Amino acid sequence: MKKWLVIALLVPVFASFAFAQTGTKKRRPLPYEYGEVVIKNYSSTAGLSPVQFDHWLHRAFYTCRLCHVDIGFAMKANATGIKAADNMKGYYCGTCHNGKMVHGNRKIFEACATKYTKDDLKRCNHCHSKGETVRREYDFSAFIEKFPKERFGNGVDWEKAEETGLIKPIDYIEGISVKRPPLATQKDFAIAAKVETMPEIVFSHKKHTVWNGCELCHPEIFAGIKKGATKYSMTEIFEGKYCGACHVTVAFPTTDCQRCHTKPVR
Amino acid sequence: MPLLFGLLILLFTAAAEAGWDFPPAPPPEEFGNLLIDRTSTKNKVKPVTFSHWSHRRKYTCQVCHSELNFAFKVNVSEITEAENQAGKYCGACHDGKIAFGHVKPNCETCHNGNRGYRKEKFPELSNLPRTRSGNRIDWVSALEEKAISPARFLKVKPPPGITYEKTLLLESEWERVPPAIFSHKTHTAWLECSNCHPEIFNIQKKTTKHFEMKMNLAGEFCGVCHMTVAFPMNDCKRCHPAMKEWP
Repeated sequence: MKKWLVIALLVPVFASFAFAQTGTKKRRPLPYEYGEVVIKNYSSTAGLSPVQFDHWLHRAFYTCRLCHVDIGFAMKANATGIKAADNMKGYYCGTCHNGKMVHGNRKIFEACATKYTKDDLKRCNHCHSKGETVRREYDFSAFIEKFPKERFGNGVDWEKAEETGLIKPIDYIEGISVKRPPLATQKDFAIAAKVETMPEIVFSHKKHTVWNGCELCHPEIFAGIKKGATKYSMTEIFEGKYCGACHVTVAFPTTDCQRCHTKPVR
Repeated sequence: MPLLFGLLILLFTAAAEAGWDFPPAPPPEEFGNLLIDRTSTKNKVKPVTFSHWSHRRKYTCQVCHSELNFAFKVNVSEITEAENQAGKYCGACHDGKIAFGHVKPNCETCHNGNRGYRKEKFPELSNLPRTRSGNRIDWVSALEEKAISPARFLKVKPPPGITYEKTLLLESEWERVPPAIFSHKTHTAWLECSNCHPEIFNIQKKTTKHFEMKMNLAGEFCGVCHMTVAFPMNDCKRCHPAMKEWP
């Protein structure tokens, strides 16, 4: 009897929390933190620190599609469930990090091992580095110094960096990727905003296919290939769905409103 | 016991509702001034004095709070001497070119632990339109009348701004208090959409109706800026224009 009374009393209290937005500002990640993924499915059971994966370094060398389609990494941290054994068999990170694959003029270091010496532990810490004081081979500030600047995210205009040839992301790995004839990309199209007087969104397939091909977004994130088939709202995007699958955590963030809402309504 | 706990929460909520009050107003030349002391005292230097009025006449809020990534709460941004030297945070302007540099003889200009530092410069603003609270300066009119022309960006030019000018009528929580009128236009003159949306105010229609005056006073919602930097909430009529008297 008493229990029910307590619940009845507490329900309105908690309901008010459920509706409450924060009302305050969250900490915005620093440019070098933006796109950082901490992977910790099995690290602690192996007695290692979680893996810190930085998108900024990999995306300068490889397209999104290569890892998220061809290699098969999920789009959410810790959803892939990567195991050391998988890497050692040449899946996931081990697709490239196998001690054989060549990038530029050097071999890509090998990921994960069952037997290792004390000295090898340093190699583990290359990736299992979250919370460790590891001297990074690539320094963020130096790495992005010459890249065109953007206001948010990594502070880098990746699109322009690719367009101007400053970066040439690789989109094909022998034996993993499939060679396909390029598809004719659709024209840009406008998506009307739901709120009156908000500028319309101009969506460019061309800009997206450079990094993603078709299959990163279709059909899982955007079901139909017909305009208007998938219905979504800005709130869902903020929650990390639809455009937010990338544009909240890795691709330029939704804070940059005008970058999508570009077409003024008369 | 849980019953007691539940009742306590309810009582506490009720008490807070009945008992809120405005914090004491600082002198106009100190309104919006901060002492930043995240690590200063720990590192044996005096806290940093920062005055919003001296900066906002030259730069809009979004320059520092978007482009330079200063948080909206004091001592949250991880400002360090090294970051400043590398041209981040304060160092973006305080480089010896745009503004005085981050070099030896200038240390005490900021690290002086004095909230009212340089108040003798405040009269320089006496030709700006007046108001009755905060800095006693009507910053909105000052901007509209072009008495000041604060910059909208520093290094990276933003794409053309979104002109969203809808005025909202926010019903008050108490019957006797007339609604607050919110103008997007006066806010976007200083800020960009993402300064407030979606973190402070989500964008779903009519879902902010539950926010109350006491939350504003606790530094949430409107209170993120209004009370500490933007005009204080004692100036009731500025938001609730139909209110009859000045308390």
